[in-house]
Amino acid sequence: MANVTFPFPFPEHLLALLPEMIVAVLAMALLLLDLFVPKEKKRMTAYMAALTMMAAGAATLFVMTPETQVAFYGFFVLDHFAVFAKLLICIATLLGIVLSIDYMKDEENIGEYYVLMLFSALGMMLMVSANNFIIMYLGLELMALSTYVLVGYQRDVLRSSEAALKYFILGALSSGMLLYGVTFFYGVSGSFHFVAIAQGIAEAGSSAGTAVLLGLVFVLAGLAFKVSMAPFHMWTPDTYEGAPTPITAFMSVAPKVAGFVIFMRILVDALPGLQHEYTTILIVMAVITMAVGNLAAIAQRNIKRMLAYSTIGHVGFVMLGLIAANADGYAGILVYLSVYLFMNMGVFAIIILMRREGIQGELLDDFAGLSRVRPGYALAMGLFLFSLGGIPFLAGFWAKYVVFIAAIEAGHLYLVLYALLFSAVGAFYYIRVVKYIYFDEERVAFNFVENRMMQATVVVSAIAVVALGIYPDPLIDLCQKALGGLI
Amino acid sequence: MLETAFFNLFAGLSILSGMGVVLARNTMHSVMFLIFCFFNAAGLFFMLDAEFIGIIMILIYVGAVMVLFMFVVMMLEVNQAKLREGFLQYLPLGGLIAVILIIEFIAAAQSGVFTEGVKATAVHISQQVNNTAEIGQVLYTRYLLGFEIAAIILLVALVGAVVLTLRTRKDAKYQNIAAQVHVRKEDRMRKVRM
Repeated sequence: MANVTFPFPFPEHLLALLPEMIVAVLAMALLLLDLFVPKEKKRMTAYMAALTMMAAGAATLFVMTPETQVAFYGFFVLDHFAVFAKLLICIATLLGIVLSIDYMKDEENIGEYYVLMLFSALGMMLMVSANNFIIMYLGLELMALSTYVLVGYQRDVLRSSEAALKYFILGALSSGMLLYGVTFFYGVSGSFHFVAIAQGIAEAGSSAGTAVLLGLVFVLAGLAFKVSMAPFHMWTPDTYEGAPTPITAFMSVAPKVAGFVIFMRILVDALPGLQHEYTTILIVMAVITMAVGNLAAIAQRNIKRMLAYSTIGHVGFVMLGLIAANADGYAGILVYLSVYLFMNMGVFAIIILMRREGIQGELLDDFAGLSRVRPGYALAMGLFLFSLGGIPFLAGFWAKYVVFIAAIEAGHLYLVLYALLFSAVGAFYYIRVVKYIYFDEERVAFNFVENRMMQATVVVSAIAVVALGIYPDPLIDLCQKALGGLI
Repeated sequence: MLETAFFNLFAGLSILSGMGVVLARNTMHSVMFLIFCFFNAAGLFFMLDAEFIGIIMILIYVGAVMVLFMFVVMMLEVNQAKLREGFLQYLPLGGLIAVILIIEFIAAAQSGVFTEGVKATAVHISQQVNNTAEIGQVLYTRYLLGFEIAAIILLVALVGAVVLTLRTRKDAKYQNIAAQVHVRKEDRMRKVRM
């Protein structure tokens, strides 16, 4: 046991945790304040939660320094990589809150909903700053636990409860697998720190081969659950379909960012000696993931379910960056995640706008004839779907381009050809929705609720998708700079 | 010698009480046997010099978890006779698993891995080291951040549990006290001309 002398030094560089502290303190304050907000003014809570996320984003930029900061006795690291991920998480949470305001206004106990979203964001922010398995796991659990509750928030909707239960049970199982894998690494190296684990594995050499390999398999399986890689994707469609739509939008983006960022950190920092082994495993999983996601999406009639499978398909493409395991690949993942954030938030904003009296607006048929009633929404939806499908000169094309090129550089030409094939399959079901919107007769009356903030979300996302499609270089540069902390 | 005797006592009693949990007809007795089992397991931890885990075992498992169990058992009103119906139909599968387990145990015991030389024995650390104090020293210093995050996780669990259960059910009848107090004669009574 470590010798500790007292008085123990006060944690150094506490300022590096300013964004996390802002979120934690304001979330708890909001939890109390919400008690005094009358029922008809509950929007206030949402606005305050949104402001909290903005403050956290601003604080992240404020505490950023060119060199890497380490706080809390080496348990918390703030580098450009973490800063970039935190900004993405703040934007995703902010958009998630904005999308929720109108959708959730009739639910009971709505105040805690926003507080839980803040706590979920806090968990993710801690997770991307982790350089050891303890903080990583605790951040992951904080994120997951809040999300389980958010998924089941609509207690009177049966499929919402079902989704939450499925997500909870499978999530707990995956956490168990992750922890079991971590124990092997701890056994080999005697440390939870990624870098120390890498050293321990290198020193142990082949004598600990089996233990390290077992640890690798379990850790990969646990993480794969969280970012819904096949064959650990089973929870995704049901959970996405059952969750309140703003939460579906939120969890299709933010936890994926956190999950992939920590995935990269673990692979680069803790397991550099096992690159051959994990690449083999990831290739097999990527092949299954791309096939399952893109093929199953074709059969879906519910657009939330279709987007769930589409997420799985996109995760398969993002994995190419992990497989490439070079700077371009990792930068490509960050590009992909940033672009995916805007595309997906835009699509979900329109799905939420489609909800009207008595109709959930989630079936593909509900979109028929949208272009005649609301040409603006139809155009935006078309842009997002083309971008998701990877049509050139929209942001989604560059996201795919960057990871594909990185994978080719690393010598995985056949895998990229396979990915291109499934990218084409993906384009089919995205464009099918566009066909419904533009070429089909309307079957149900459209009477949209006017909501300025949602429309703003759609406009901002659409501008981002088009602007990044025409001129993606600044984003790619930014992502390459952000990698400075990792490699 | 004395240590072996105590080990046999604790281990034997925990196995016996573990069997009691499964075999007791009364669910309440099963819970009691489980509590007894935890006490014996705590004793085993004490013998391994892990007094912190031993105490936590008694405080958390016996003090909190089992009390909750007891509440649940009392509220559920389990019908034993009904539970025992169809008990035998699981016998083939359960028996098969038991046989496989026994074969595994015998094979492991015969393999030579557990011979006297390689068997792990509890290494007693010196009396000066108090592992409760040692854990406390690192938990609140070096591992402070993790400790704080764990606290927030507990808060989220608490809020989540309340949020998911506290709701006005549309199918339940509630008493509206304000309406009852403010009720007037005219609301309840109507004169009908016959």
